[in-house]
Amino acid sequence: MSTSTGEGERGPMTTSTIGHDGEGSPMTTSTVGTRAHGSAMLTDVRHSVRLARLELTVLGRNQTALFTVLFLPLLFGWMFSALAGEAVIAGLPAEVFVLTGLPGLLPLFAVFVNLVNTFTARREELVLRRLRGGQVSAVGILGGAALGGLAVQLVQTGLVLAWLRAVDGPVPANIPLLLVAAVLGAAVFTLLAAACSGLTRTTEHAQVTVLPVLFVVMIGAPLFTPLSAQPPQLAVPAEFVPATPIVEITRTAILGADFIGGAGGKLTVAGQWLAALPSLGVLAAWLLIAAIAAKVLFRWDPKRG
Amino acid sequence: MDGLRQAYGDFEAVRGISFTVRPGELFALLGTNGAGKTTTMDVLEGLRPARQGDVRVLGLDPHRQRRRLRPRVGVMLQEGGFVGDLTVAETVRVWGGLSADVGRPPDGDVLETVGLAGKARTRVRQLSGGQKRRLDLALAVLSRPELLFLDEPTTGMDPEARRDTWDVIKGLRAAGTTVLLTTHYLEEAERLADHLAIMHEGTVHVRGTVDEVVAEAGDRIVFRLPRLPRGGPPSLLDTTAEIARSGDGAAVTYTLTGTSPAGRAHAALRPLLAWADEHRLTLHGLEIRKGTLEDVFLRVVGDAR
Repeated sequence: MSTSTGEGERGPMTTSTIGHDGEGSPMTTSTVGTRAHGSAMLTDVRHSVRLARLELTVLGRNQTALFTVLFLPLLFGWMFSALAGEAVIAGLPAEVFVLTGLPGLLPLFAVFVNLVNTFTARREELVLRRLRGGQVSAVGILGGAALGGLAVQLVQTGLVLAWLRAVDGPVPANIPLLLVAAVLGAAVFTLLAAACSGLTRTTEHAQVTVLPVLFVVMIGAPLFTPLSAQPPQLAVPAEFVPATPIVEITRTAILGADFIGGAGGKLTVAGQWLAALPSLGVLAAWLLIAAIAAKVLFRWDPKRG
Repeated sequence: MDGLRQAYGDFEAVRGISFTVRPGELFALLGTNGAGKTTTMDVLEGLRPARQGDVRVLGLDPHRQRRRLRPRVGVMLQEGGFVGDLTVAETVRVWGGLSADVGRPPDGDVLETVGLAGKARTRVRQLSGGQKRRLDLALAVLSRPELLFLDEPTTGMDPEARRDTWDVIKGLRAAGTTVLLTTHYLEEAERLADHLAIMHEGTVHVRGTVDEVVAEAGDRIVFRLPRLPRGGPPSLLDTTAEIARSGDGAAVTYTLTGTSPAGRAHAALRPLLAWADEHRLTLHGLEIRKGTLEDVFLRVVGDAR
């Protein structure tokens, strides 16, 4: 009956039912409610930061999750570079090639595996329900999870970059591009995690449901071979694995050379951005696909009965 | 709320209910398990949109105008909704922060209020069921909401905790908070509610003030007679007696409904005693009992069967 008034506007309200005297006398909205409405985005950001801090606190108390999320990818990096030994890949020492691509795989662990666990645990504990019934919007909740994952991912990226320096590797050539790839990667894998958690019943079950994505991405991403060195029947599908564009952009951004389908030719800063465009396009497409999947599969409430 | 209907698939959980809660009062929604109470609460809390009907909370649409409504509302869930790895104090701090972000900072020491101050450093996972309910209440009342939704607030509590919780609720109500409470403890509704409604199988069967609803149950006059005189006991206020014969006489029961509840038992007694004198009878074990909420509740549930 009472029509919704415009954004942030303080409107007269009629025929309320609860907490209203039932005589249709207008009740003023408290300034508090109105202000919150006006700066909804700012509120979402504040809520996200708070929830991200909560998730990091909880992650810090969960040793199993801490191992999978924090140490496993670094262990992989160490294993691969140790296996490669003195080999040379695309004109670079194997260790440098692997480590420059490794930050592109971090969203898989810090964001995807981490958040499938978190979303599932919070849903089964009914925390998502409580948050939704409370002050936080859906955007704030997803944003908080994404932010927590991104924070872990960025700390790990910092560690990998320090490691690169320690083995006389390069200093990153294009930090903005590196960050864009990191943020887009975190966004794609947050949404994929939301979708995947919809198919996951318990946190134990999550160890199984993350595997398909984990396998495809680990095998498809060009961590130790440039796609240009692979036969086209492998390289073309690998191009569309969600982590591939992140790995390629990351490597290009760190080395300042074309590793996006290319074989390492030097690029100017503008050239690096230009070369990254198709990969950014693939990421944008993944963002859309992951968003649709999340919209369809994500659940706020546990399945009952 | 007017004509709310809500269905899950083919099952219609709520089939057209209407009620109004006045500001500052405590309204209790009673019902058996599966009566549709929680579904109704979900709609009022904005967790799901109303399938049909008009729902207003503080004059706002609880689903579409969530952002404006939520800062003014406190919600106590039926169960759970906590991050097990956080301590009690951390949980209160996070939820207080989320409220502060929408302009409702926490007010006073809420753990003291609900009697959990001694558990501040305990992990939520380690709390007993009753303690979790107290924490839930603490989060619901954290920032002095104008309207409080309590979904079975004392389920699983021991009698002492239940009394404490009632005191907290009474205190809030005295401070002007409007409260909507669901419960299946009749005593709880009888003690706390200004108005109540009894729901069964998706519809409201009875509603009114506690006195009004109880009045409907009718007063009972019960006694035993060693022998029944010719013509049997008289009808009192147009009510005929129910007689159960047994070996050593007959049990007689009148259920007085209609007329004004205040004087009806009194009015019925005079002709009854006159009749007894006339037949030189003693009414053994004469008992006059006011109707109870339980009588009404059982009748509602029984009628529907």
